[in-house]
Amino acid sequence: MIDRIHEAVRARGESEGDGDARTDGGTATVADDDAGSFFGSVSRDFLGSLPFWLPPFALMGFFVYGAIGWNFALSLVNVQQFNQPNYSQLDFDQYLRAFGDPSFISAAQNTAVLLVAFTLACLVVGLLVAILVDRHVRFENTFRTIYLLPMSLSFVVTAQFWLWLYNFDNGLVNVVTQALGLGRYKWISNPELALGAVVFALIWQFSGYAMVVYLAGLRAIPDEHYEAARVDGASTLKMYWRVIVPQLKGATISASVVLMVFALKAFDFLYALAGGFFPPKGTDILSTMMVRQAFSAGNRSYAAAIGIMLFLLAIAIVAPYLTYQYRRGEL
Amino acid sequence: MSDNDLSRRSYLKGASAAGAASLAGLTGCLGLGGGGGSDPVELLHGWSGGDGASAFEAMHEGFQKEHDVETNVKPIGGSGNTTLDARISTRLGNDDPPSSWAEWPGQNLTQFTSEDLLGDIESDVWEENGMKDAYLEGPKEAAQVGGSYVAVPTNIHRINNLFFNKSVVESAGIDPAGLESPADLVEAAATVEEETDAVGFSHAMSSPWTTLQLWACVFLGEHGESAYDDFISGEGDQDAVQSSLETVAELSAHFNEDAGTVGFQEANQKVIDGGAAFFDQGDWAAQQYISQEGFEFESEWGHVPFPGTDGLYSLNMDSWVYSADGPNPEGTKEWLRYVGTKDAQVRFNTRKGSIPPRSDVSTEEFGPFQTSQIEEFQNSKAQPPSIAHGLAVAPETLTNLKNAVSNEFSNPSMDAAANAAEAFMNAF
Amino acid sequence: MNTSDLDGRRVGLYAVLFGLVAFYLLPLEIGLVTSLKTDPLASLPFAPPAAGSFTLEEWGRAFTALKSGLVNSLLLAVPATILSAGLGSMAAYGLTTLQWRGQVGVFTLFIAGIFIPYQAVLLPVSRFWATYAPLEEWLAVLWLLPGLEAYHGELLSLIITHVAYGIPICTLLFRTYYKELSGEMVEAAKLDGATAYTIYRRVILPLSVPMFAVTLIYQFTQIWNDLLFALVIMGPGDGAPVTVGLTNIGSSLTNLGFGVKMAGAFIAALPTMVVYVLFGEQFAEGVAS
Repeated sequence: MIDRIHEAVRARGESEGDGDARTDGGTATVADDDAGSFFGSVSRDFLGSLPFWLPPFALMGFFVYGAIGWNFALSLVNVQQFNQPNYSQLDFDQYLRAFGDPSFISAAQNTAVLLVAFTLACLVVGLLVAILVDRHVRFENTFRTIYLLPMSLSFVVTAQFWLWLYNFDNGLVNVVTQALGLGRYKWISNPELALGAVVFALIWQFSGYAMVVYLAGLRAIPDEHYEAARVDGASTLKMYWRVIVPQLKGATISASVVLMVFALKAFDFLYALAGGFFPPKGTDILSTMMVRQAFSAGNRSYAAAIGIMLFLLAIAIVAPYLTYQYRRGEL
Repeated sequence: MSDNDLSRRSYLKGASAAGAASLAGLTGCLGLGGGGGSDPVELLHGWSGGDGASAFEAMHEGFQKEHDVETNVKPIGGSGNTTLDARISTRLGNDDPPSSWAEWPGQNLTQFTSEDLLGDIESDVWEENGMKDAYLEGPKEAAQVGGSYVAVPTNIHRINNLFFNKSVVESAGIDPAGLESPADLVEAAATVEEETDAVGFSHAMSSPWTTLQLWACVFLGEHGESAYDDFISGEGDQDAVQSSLETVAELSAHFNEDAGTVGFQEANQKVIDGGAAFFDQGDWAAQQYISQEGFEFESEWGHVPFPGTDGLYSLNMDSWVYSADGPNPEGTKEWLRYVGTKDAQVRFNTRKGSIPPRSDVSTEEFGPFQTSQIEEFQNSKAQPPSIAHGLAVAPETLTNLKNAVSNEFSNPSMDAAANAAEAFMNAF
Repeated sequence: MNTSDLDGRRVGLYAVLFGLVAFYLLPLEIGLVTSLKTDPLASLPFAPPAAGSFTLEEWGRAFTALKSGLVNSLLLAVPATILSAGLGSMAAYGLTTLQWRGQVGVFTLFIAGIFIPYQAVLLPVSRFWATYAPLEEWLAVLWLLPGLEAYHGELLSLIITHVAYGIPICTLLFRTYYKELSGEMVEAAKLDGATAYTIYRRVILPLSVPMFAVTLIYQFTQIWNDLLFALVIMGPGDGAPVTVGLTNIGSSLTNLGFGVKMAGAFIAALPTMVVYVLFGEQFAEGVAS
């Protein structure tokens, strides 16, 4: 099949060869590269590659790195409501302000709890489900499709569903707890329960993702490893714990990085849950606080500083991961 | 030319195909035209659905009928104007002001005037059509900041209302007119829950402003107008603030269980369904009853001033401001002159459930509930401005108060009342 | 281990798997039946509507409230998806198939872009579109054309924004794929004197079709589902995508209650759900890499 494409490409290349060679200045041949004119070959391939990656890079670079730089500058001045930035006076006051602000501290704590609890729970649920699905079950594809379905939904949509599931009067969760004799709870409006309720809803939405990543990891483990463990007489549980799980390190790392990034982006879910900029008490995280400060309270520089801190948090999570990938030669 | 917006736009589009208009548009967009007079007047407001939307549309239609000014209207919905405010703040912060937008007047405008974002319209708008004589004193004052007119109020809402479901209070044996203080209301709510299956007092807490508003009504009812004035000028008495928060906490024992996650419309629906007896909200809540078939004023639902606030008309207003830097200033002034007319105010207020700020509008076109409100307004001994809507306090204070409710008083209790009272005092 | 023990285990395994099906689908089932009831509070949340209490009214109301949002979301998601996938493929080609030094550095900058919390760029992006690139004003002459409105200018800003932030993930997806492509064909084409453009057009693009499917589906879902950019760059209003409209449904005077909320949630989710059911495999592949 590939050979046929190869042939076809060759044939086409030949028919258009003339015109193309001319645009290369007539002398550019692969033999030239082989001859070892190092700078020549590098710069030619470099120049040839520019039209492809530079426009997307410029667009992305402007919006990502340009905007972060701009945002950093904004965090060093003091812009409130409608006044304009005065860049002649730069300081880190906004960052100091954050560390003295109890609502920032509590949002940072909630962010940490969300990151850790949500990521760990998703990994555990995802791994267990992946192991079950991996046991040569029938309709495997159907099961997998169903488990991953919630992830295709918008945060805004799932927030509407969970608002109803957590409804005090007739939400499923309270119907169940009532039937179990545990009574009913204000899942969203009780600050002690709210964050847990949010984490649970997010686990529902994203554990399927961890399952898919783990399943791919499990599939990559050679059957012999299972066999070998079995021959040694290890129990199923031991086999997974000692032999299989350690081999899923790569899957675990990449799944946790992505899950943590999802958790940092949980703004949409909390905004939709409350229908506005004030998330239910006990669930304010840095992402919601930043948007509220920037676009509702008008504390733009303060919000910019919170944004930069979120960025640093993301870098702290991602940089080791990228280094790890680079070392493994996967970049 | 036809008088509705749609066909006028398509007429314009037809002309553009002919070429002339597109050339004008091109020069306009390249900044070659003089003063950008060809830009549409950009209007932002928060009435994206229900009675508010139809009220605005009726007023906008009236404007289009008489004036040949192109408009670009952006309705931005969301509870208590929070989404609209966020949008305005973003647009102004980005140096990208609209021509005019619906805004609460009074202290709320200082956030804009302190940065020179609003323009003076005394001579171009207020001195036209006898507006200065026709407007009531309160609204006229609210339209000015530091002596210059920057806005045109279009409607007055009352805040200190107690609505009730008649059959529920009757089966509980309560006469709402006999409630003389917020404490009586707490007792009545308890009685309702003893005597019927209904919730005593329906309330919404999904955003903080509704509880702030309820507290303001309780405070006014318990401590009176002068204590209220002291509070809004930053010299309130902490014990008084706390005792009113405690009353709210007592009342919260009779709230609907889902209060923490619902908006005021959902809470109000419980009154309509007979699932709750009492409800406190601005008079826009009455529109929800009026639009409900078979749910009539005085037979199914009733209204009294919030207990303890008889004779007071606690008010909130909406107004249209004049942006100092918005597109098409001449067209904007035309719009502002129009919203100050009788025609505009009848069109708007009859549908919105509010009352007109002009004193010369006939009550004939208004329904029985609004007529009774207009009477009470004219006989009221004072009109304390609303806190939760920023008429009474500067925006920063309002944000602090909302944060205080959100952080300290999401679950009302006696302990929470003490903390919230302190946070209220620190809000100024 | 005897067979009945084994059977018992199999039964247990399937019981757990079906239990999980219930866990993942129950919220959707509850949403669906709730949207069809006249009074969602009157019966158990998961019970189907009783004979007398079945209604399609909530779906009608939700559709009326969201239909302009659906159109806007489509106008937003389709071009943004195609552009970001196309640019991602180009970037991946320039960084993989064509070899040059320093590629990894540039590529790392692309990859890091995937993980940026949008909160770190929101203020500049919103200011950029409002003050420095007001497309709505620049293109004012276009809005006079039939079928175009001023808010389409804001939609265009939103499209460009989504494309810019979508490029990193698209580049990653394509690069992973291109690295596994055989270098032979590219070499052969080079021997024939084909230019970089010809190689891309004749060799790489035809081979990229399966990856385009994965990327397009993933990006479409991401852009359709986004709330934050829409909320901050354009705000609610005529041009707003469906997610913005959905945040307020069920709590306004005209659309009240959980029935209309659930119907609205389904209407807003329908396009992504259809895409998911049709192309579940590609979606799984997209999220797994």
